[in-house]
Amino acid sequence: MARRHIETLLLLAPAVIFLFLCFVVPLARLFSLAFTDEAGPFATFAILADSDVYRRVMVNTFLVALAVALITVVLAWPVAYILTKLKGFWFAFALYGVLFPFWISVLVRTFSWMILLERNGPLNRFLINLGITDKPLALLFNDTGVMIGMVHVLLPYAILPLYGAMLRIDQRLLMASDGLGAGLFDTFRRVYFPLCLPGLMGGATFVFLLSLGFFITPALLGGSNAITLSMLIASFINDRLAWSLAAAASLVLLVVVLALLAATAKVLPFGKGMYAK
Amino acid sequence: MSKSPLWLRLLAQISAGLVLAFLCLPILAVIPASFNQASFITLPPVAYSGRWYEAFISDPEWRQALFASLHVAVIATIVAVVTGTAAALGLHRLTGRSRGILTGLFLAPMIVPVIVTAVAVYRSALDVGLSGTPLGLGLAHALLALPFVVINVGIALRGVEENWLRAAAGLGAGPWRIFRTVTLPNIAPGIVGGAIFSFITSFDEVVVAVFLAGYANKTLPVKIWESIRLEFTPVVAVAATLMIVLAIVLFAVAQLLSKSGKKQPI
Repeated sequence: MARRHIETLLLLAPAVIFLFLCFVVPLARLFSLAFTDEAGPFATFAILADSDVYRRVMVNTFLVALAVALITVVLAWPVAYILTKLKGFWFAFALYGVLFPFWISVLVRTFSWMILLERNGPLNRFLINLGITDKPLALLFNDTGVMIGMVHVLLPYAILPLYGAMLRIDQRLLMASDGLGAGLFDTFRRVYFPLCLPGLMGGATFVFLLSLGFFITPALLGGSNAITLSMLIASFINDRLAWSLAAAASLVLLVVVLALLAATAKVLPFGKGMYAK
Repeated sequence: MSKSPLWLRLLAQISAGLVLAFLCLPILAVIPASFNQASFITLPPVAYSGRWYEAFISDPEWRQALFASLHVAVIATIVAVVTGTAAALGLHRLTGRSRGILTGLFLAPMIVPVIVTAVAVYRSALDVGLSGTPLGLGLAHALLALPFVVINVGIALRGVEENWLRAAAGLGAGPWRIFRTVTLPNIAPGIVGGAIFSFITSFDEVVVAVFLAGYANKTLPVKIWESIRLEFTPVVAVAATLMIVLAIVLFAVAQLLSKSGKKQPI
């Protein structure tokens, strides 16, 4: 038995050492920088909290993430529902439609949106031709652009957990509700929707958490008009070499993400929604 | 639901179709954009040509970026697959608390926001002189790829029955031989799936790379990132199209493997 224990340790050791040296230690070293300001251990956090600009960035990040989570959940609904109904070719077609974007680089997808949302780009020309607007709309370099891009990138993360929840619903419950005289709307409101709720909340939480730390999409589609927390962190380092501020902002971001994860850990179908069927 | 009216089913189908179109079609916009004749991006192009593909191939900077990406992705894949496969095998033998804690550690790079990981790794790489080297970026990407290998191999391991191992041991095979002849062939699709996922994770990754790549070692996504902000020429669309083609090829390979092997989620 001792031999087996040593084997297990040897199998785990490379990954544990690797993660420790290249992940845990760098994170700890970064976060320690947040407390090294000359003005006192919490001075950097005070700077973040007192500044109007930084507060606005944090509120904006939070609101964009919230809006993205809400929009993705609404858009995810029909796709998840249809996935539970389709069979054979059309099922595979729809499922690949959801999984395919996962494989394409976020940078490429964001770049595509830059081309489409441009001032004289195809979308604006289309809207003008339809007569919806007579001069090009500002779809790029503002929160609208950021939200379109982020919804696009994060939508599959909302669809898969919701689909998982819908799949697990026992169809006999719906028949029972129907047989007991409930109308379509009542069955939906009192049986179907509550049963979908874990998947819905799981997907929404996942999207919200990923949105909070998003960098590429807001940086390219939002630009300087829609700064998010991750862009602020990057600019602390690249533009100002303000490592202690970057460290403090990173710590805030991580703590918020972990706290939300812990709070929703029971609802979140971790691993299941994403990787199992 | 059990007998939803026609209008409701139609509504669901049409809106699902629209959402799926929204998911997939915009991605393809870069492909026609890459065949522009003009020196700026118009969509649809007024005239088509392959001149930007020639420009891409004849520009040493783009070529060098493509090679840097491949170089880094190979390092990341090797490190992630070797450490991740061993870790999954080790995790499989554990039970209870230690298993939970270690699983949490192995999946942590997926949970920590990438910008935080990027900044932390950048700082430490600067201090030890690994910033701007393929090795430094490869290791950082291996970090992000590791969870996918652990998950993929872990799922494959669940398909290996204890009885097979006992039978092999009963027939006189040693631990190494059992691993080589029973376990390994059965988890091979999981390892390959993890490897493909690791490769594409590294090849597509921008955030860590923007910090760590440095001047001499720009990967393709970093070069695209910089070019988007400087110029808006169709050569960027060429690079983006190449990335889509590579992703589709790897996606197809992974799908074929998952069909030939057991049920492998991608």
